[in-house]
Amino acid sequence: MISGFSLLLWAGAVLCWIAYGVQVSQAPDVPRDNLYLGVVLAGVVILTGCFAYFQEAKSTNIMASFRNMVPQQALVWRDGEKKQILASELVVGDLVEIKGGDRIPADVRVISAQGCKVDNSSLTGESEPQSRSPELTHENPLETKNIGFYSTTCLEGTATGLVISTGDQTIIGRIACLASGVGDEKTPIAVEIEHFVHIVGGFACSVGVIFFVISLGMGYKIMDAIVFLIGIIVANVPEGLIATVTVSLSLTAKRMAKKNCLVKNLEAVETLGSTSIICSDKTGTLTQNRMTVAHLWFDNEIVSADTSEDQKNQSFDQSSVTWKHLSRIVALCNRAEFLAKQEDVPIMKRAVMGDASETALLKFSEVVYGNVMAYREKNKKVCEIPFNSTNKFQLSIHETDDPHDKRFLLVMKGAPERILDRCSTVMLNGKEVPLDDSFKETFQTAYMELGGMGERVLGFCHLLLPEDEFPDSYPFDVESMNFPTSNLCFAGLLSMIDPPRSTVPDAVSKCRSAGIKVIMVTGDHPITAQAIAKSVGIISEGSETVDEIARRLNIPISQVNKKDARAAVVNGMQLKDMTDSDLDEILRNHGEIVFARTSPQQKLVIVEGCQRMGAIVAVTGDGVNDSPALKKANIGIAMGIAGSDAAKNAADMILMDDNFASIVTGVEEGRLIFDNLKKAISYTLTKNIAELCPFLIYIIVSCPLPIGTITILFIDLGTDIIPSVSLAYEKGETDIMNRKPRHPKRDRLVNWQLALYSYSQIGMIQSVGAFFCYFTVLAQQGFLPARLINIRVSWEDKNDQDLEDSYGQEWTYEQRRYQESECYTAFFVSIVISQLADLIIRKTRMNSIFQQGMLRNKVLLFGLASQLIIAAFLSYCPGMYDALRFCPLRIPVLVCVFTLCHTNLDL
Amino acid sequence: MSSKEDKPVEQSQSSWKDFIYNPRNGEFIGRTARSWALILLFYLIFYGFLAGLFSLTMWVMLQTLDDYTPKYRDRISNPGLVIRPKAPEIIFNRSAPSEYKEYTDHLEAFLSKYNSEHQKNNIDCTPGAYFIQDNQPLPKQVCKFERSLLGQCSGITDQTFGYSEGRPCIIVKMNRIIGLKPKPTPFINCTAKKDDKLSVNYFPENATFDSMYFPYYGKLAHDGYVQPLVAVKLLLNSSDFNKKLSVECKIEGSNLLNNDDRDKFLGRVAFQVTVTE
Repeated sequence: MISGFSLLLWAGAVLCWIAYGVQVSQAPDVPRDNLYLGVVLAGVVILTGCFAYFQEAKSTNIMASFRNMVPQQALVWRDGEKKQILASELVVGDLVEIKGGDRIPADVRVISAQGCKVDNSSLTGESEPQSRSPELTHENPLETKNIGFYSTTCLEGTATGLVISTGDQTIIGRIACLASGVGDEKTPIAVEIEHFVHIVGGFACSVGVIFFVISLGMGYKIMDAIVFLIGIIVANVPEGLIATVTVSLSLTAKRMAKKNCLVKNLEAVETLGSTSIICSDKTGTLTQNRMTVAHLWFDNEIVSADTSEDQKNQSFDQSSVTWKHLSRIVALCNRAEFLAKQEDVPIMKRAVMGDASETALLKFSEVVYGNVMAYREKNKKVCEIPFNSTNKFQLSIHETDDPHDKRFLLVMKGAPERILDRCSTVMLNGKEVPLDDSFKETFQTAYMELGGMGERVLGFCHLLLPEDEFPDSYPFDVESMNFPTSNLCFAGLLSMIDPPRSTVPDAVSKCRSAGIKVIMVTGDHPITAQAIAKSVGIISEGSETVDEIARRLNIPISQVNKKDARAAVVNGMQLKDMTDSDLDEILRNHGEIVFARTSPQQKLVIVEGCQRMGAIVAVTGDGVNDSPALKKANIGIAMGIAGSDAAKNAADMILMDDNFASIVTGVEEGRLIFDNLKKAISYTLTKNIAELCPFLIYIIVSCPLPIGTITILFIDLGTDIIPSVSLAYEKGETDIMNRKPRHPKRDRLVNWQLALYSYSQIGMIQSVGAFFCYFTVLAQQGFLPARLINIRVSWEDKNDQDLEDSYGQEWTYEQRRYQESECYTAFFVSIVISQLADLIIRKTRMNSIFQQGMLRNKVLLFGLASQLIIAAFLSYCPGMYDALRFCPLRIPVLVCVFTLCHTNLDL
Repeated sequence: MSSKEDKPVEQSQSSWKDFIYNPRNGEFIGRTARSWALILLFYLIFYGFLAGLFSLTMWVMLQTLDDYTPKYRDRISNPGLVIRPKAPEIIFNRSAPSEYKEYTDHLEAFLSKYNSEHQKNNIDCTPGAYFIQDNQPLPKQVCKFERSLLGQCSGITDQTFGYSEGRPCIIVKMNRIIGLKPKPTPFINCTAKKDDKLSVNYFPENATFDSMYFPYYGKLAHDGYVQPLVAVKLLLNSSDFNKKLSVECKIEGSNLLNNDDRDKFLGRVAFQVTVTE
């Protein structure tokens, strides 16, 4: 309320009141026009202020719902007994008990633990559960196993810990402080609006002051000069614009919310549109965040499996006998289970108890087999050895569902090389053949190939135990392993990956055509990262990294010209040793970059590097430790599902479906809002000239005033509001996602081109049209243009009741005043009508009006209609003359206005 | 350190210089000479065209107008009433000629149009009937309104218009409106606003605007038209001196409006007179 235009309007209001005060002191019975005008101006400022505030508040409310968390409780030993207290009441030295499912209430040192595992992903980005135990395993508190961190979750087991720090002193607390320490930078749209206010405000002030001086020089009284000044200010300030901008932004925010982008800060809507670099997480954002079987290798052949989100069946050739055996092992040698009552949930969405790869295998076999649980029921498990890190395999023994075959089936899966070591035969095309060296070689190639795609590979083998050695009642013992675990029959390999979301490759290519660089920043292994980057198009087909070029040409890495390599995969370890300029060089030289094995802290470094290049950076993040980067980025995007509250707090936008593709729709919306704001502003600015000229002519020619300040306000805040908001509903033009992101310094919201086009071209046409109407209205009633020159003093003299017109008739003051309001109305209507045409002109920037379609924007049509209706209401509603000095126009005048303005504008 | 800080200053200076004149590409304020020439040419043609269009439309519009009567006359369907001397408040000391000289000079100047030498071509019309000349050739004839009709207020016998005796003359004039035909003959009635008793003399004695002066045919067609006047001589007594007297004159006895809420001068006129001794 105290910036930019508001200040100008306040100045106008104060000037009005001063003018009124002076008038009253001179003659007590002056009309209260100036008093009212001042009140109206102040009202406008306050209203727009409140309006903007409520819009902001509305979007803040959405956010507030995120904060409604149940206060955290902690189980603590105090005075020799266990007590449940609020986590905020913990002090250093408290002894707390933690069990699976709890959030850790403070930073604690673990003093005893039973199978305790914690999820530190929000803090360190490690997605695997970490075990906690009392031993000190590392100097670094973040690495050691005996510290549990505030706000992380205990997944399983129990632990007792000593509180070592609370609140802001905790690691998370410090990160949160760091996040709030990173300065909030002005959003690009705020910068643009400021720039725009400077241009228009500067123009208004300079014209105002120039004419103030001129009018004083021409011998006007100071009072008159002040009234002119007010008129010029009111004419120049687009009063309705701030409201339009706010409405447009919140409309877009609403639209984006529908597309799963929740915008916290309204202005961030546009920031996304000017984004030139997106630093995206991999897991969950680019990928589906679930392991899925991607490839199989059996019968010496690699087959790929369907990895899409909604698979119902697998389409690869399933006729091979080997496959039947392999699939049986996959189904049986698995401990994961579906949770109950999910029959009608699609397979891929069902909740599963078990780790990521077992879940993947379970779902895979559910897809190929149908009901796995029933199948397992039929092939009863008699004994099993779960996976552990020393064995690196998992084994189970089952009865078979073949009633004629009493043999037990032993199935095993594990690390491929370990499995192969335990096999002596291999199943090829359904026949068991001895395992020889040539097979080992093919196995190795296949294994390397699958591993090279960044996939996690598992080997599978089985053995039917001979019935004579292992009869029905054989007591299998897991401890002594009284059954064979070698000389098994190798069946095949399965490889799994967290596959990219199906919408992502398209989204990435859209980004690319929109000139936006997508950088992947992940904590994952470089090979996996690169594989995913390739499959989603972040590294495009045919691009090579320096390493790959070196390998292809068989030369040392140092000899490769770095500029030949479009792609780069940067390891977090490398990044650690880099100086800023090294990083800048990488960012500049390579179009396609993947940062792997990065710590969340390094994200901040990357973001800063991008910003040094002048880019507008969007960053996605979910962990607490991402919050500094989210805050630092021009637009921080937090994940709605996986994101921590700290990340959501630091972000400007929340992606409700964690999907990268939603960012791209967001970008499109952001660009659209920029375009549409540009349209709305040029629309709004155009009439300023037509509102300003009357005052200038009035001062210079000294004719009756063509349009009053109140009437101007009725255009700015009445007829023009709906049309300019309606431009926010305009669909994007065809090139919207095919042009480069706007340059923050060069592609301004309002530039000279736009201002000149609006002011000196369309604005002049409008003024000419409006003046024509003004002269017509006066001439038809008897005041020919020549008579108007220098008539102002007697025209406005209340004691002059017999002013003669061009035809010798004499007019009373009141008759002239009524005539003047007809001029106001005519001028008003002609501006309104030429604004109709202007709205159609502004509808498109690049496209032709036929490409864009005249009828597609229904709101705009409504805007056109509303303009006519409001104008008609103002001029034809009885009583308007007394209230607002509008008066009915003759139909022929209207027709004349209409045709003239349109022929003018359609030029 | 210092060099680092100096750099931007230098840059900004040079960029300013570059902006005004950039020697590398010959740009002057962001444009080359050719570009400036083109843009000026564009605006020259554009504004030339606009001016042409404006003049053309204005010309066409003016062609649709009649030289003799305005296209619409509904804004002034009823005439306003004004007084001479032209002042909302008349204040003078009857024994100080310098104070009322302003008023009498004004009246004299106003009435000089009605001198006989200006009305040589004017004809004597039939009183009580409209002087309709719709089908007469131009210029239309003008009915004579002799100054002498105003009697004591004509300024012929008493050149101070009664101001010196404290009984000032006020001349009431009805605004000219083309084609106006008051029906029946209107007359002027002046009253004191508060209950004060006010006696006045009217000249001509019936206080009417005679029908023969109507209708008016407009400045061009009806050159030399003199509009009828009614002079009001306020017959003030010694009791009326030294106080503010509010007088209102209304046009009555016709179809002309004299009680419009908004326009206080439509068919009526109010003024204040203060005469001191």
